[in-house]
Amino acid sequence: MSAEAQVGIAVFAVGAASLLFRLVPLLFAPRLPDRAAQQATWAGLAVLAGVTVRSVLNHHDQALVTGSVNLAPLVAAFAVGMGLSLAYRGRSVLVCVAVGIAGYVGISTVLLAL
Amino acid sequence: MTTSSTPSGVLTAGDEQLVRNSHHHLRAGATAMLPIMAAYVPFALLVGAAVADSSNPAAAWLATWAIYGGAAHLAVLDVLAQGSGWLTAVAVGVLVNARLVAYAAGMAPGWRSAPLRQRAGAAVMLTDAPWTLARARVDGHRSYYFGAASALFLGWPVLVSLGVLVGGWFSAAPVVGLLPALTLGVVVTSQLQERPVVAAAVSAAVTAALTAGLSAGISLLLCAAVGVTSGVVAEWFR
Repeated sequence: MSAEAQVGIAVFAVGAASLLFRLVPLLFAPRLPDRAAQQATWAGLAVLAGVTVRSVLNHHDQALVTGSVNLAPLVAAFAVGMGLSLAYRGRSVLVCVAVGIAGYVGISTVLLAL
Repeated sequence: MTTSSTPSGVLTAGDEQLVRNSHHHLRAGATAMLPIMAAYVPFALLVGAAVADSSNPAAAWLATWAIYGGAAHLAVLDVLAQGSGWLTAVAVGVLVNARLVAYAAGMAPGWRSAPLRQRAGAAVMLTDAPWTLARARVDGHRSYYFGAASALFLGWPVLVSLGVLVGGWFSAAPVVGLLPALTLGVVVTSQLQERPVVAAAVSAAVTAALTAGLSAGISLLLCAAVGVTSGVVAEWFR
């Protein structure tokens, strides 16, 4: 099978499955118990927490690799932690993200200068 | 929102107020989505670069709406680019997007009384950011959700298209890779106010750390399972 056809099939299949994931619970919303919906919400937030942690731990920055020591995840953890601590205090999304990015750039710059 | 009308077809004052409120919530949702979309720009450029490098850019671009999930979209194109075949790509994409079931089920109570057409429209545009934003909204949450979801549904393909043109050099900056996670993490953190939610998030974070080496789909499914279990246990002790 050609590479072009494989892309088309994959996009169609994942798209169809994604649409079903979205549609079925909402179409049957009147029959879904409140308890199940609440637990589904916890699952959704848990997934987003997992996405955040995975991104930090799998973060790669060649400039922060010295020998066998990879400082990129550590720097990413500090930077994301700064942003999340502001979010916990009620700051806006833009401020938190800007502080996180500034923190990453600042810490990276200091480490590279050492 | 349902309205009545006088025999002449003119809306009553009360109905006009309902319509104004609905428009207000729509605008509020769209406005709330703007900073999140700004944070999504680098990730969209990354996806656009992957679309441009695909062996079928047209189909890869259509995934912007068909799959409508940046992480799944990128994962599918990456797997295909590595030559692993469509079956593996489909498995990865489906696993990454499986979380959508949780989002849709979580929305269900607030949408029970909505017409079928509205529920279908809400479902088509469902993804992480509008779900998380609307979750915290009490007043006019459906209109608010539609405002936020529509803004992203229209804006995301535009950003990805921009990425097709210029994404290659921009996405090379390492800090760009942190933006989507930082954005979503910030939105989730702002909702950590109930013990079961905190328990779910913290336990999922630990699970993600322990399964960081596994594929995204499997790791995130484990996070969901552990998160729900922790939430249930935390609620017993509330």
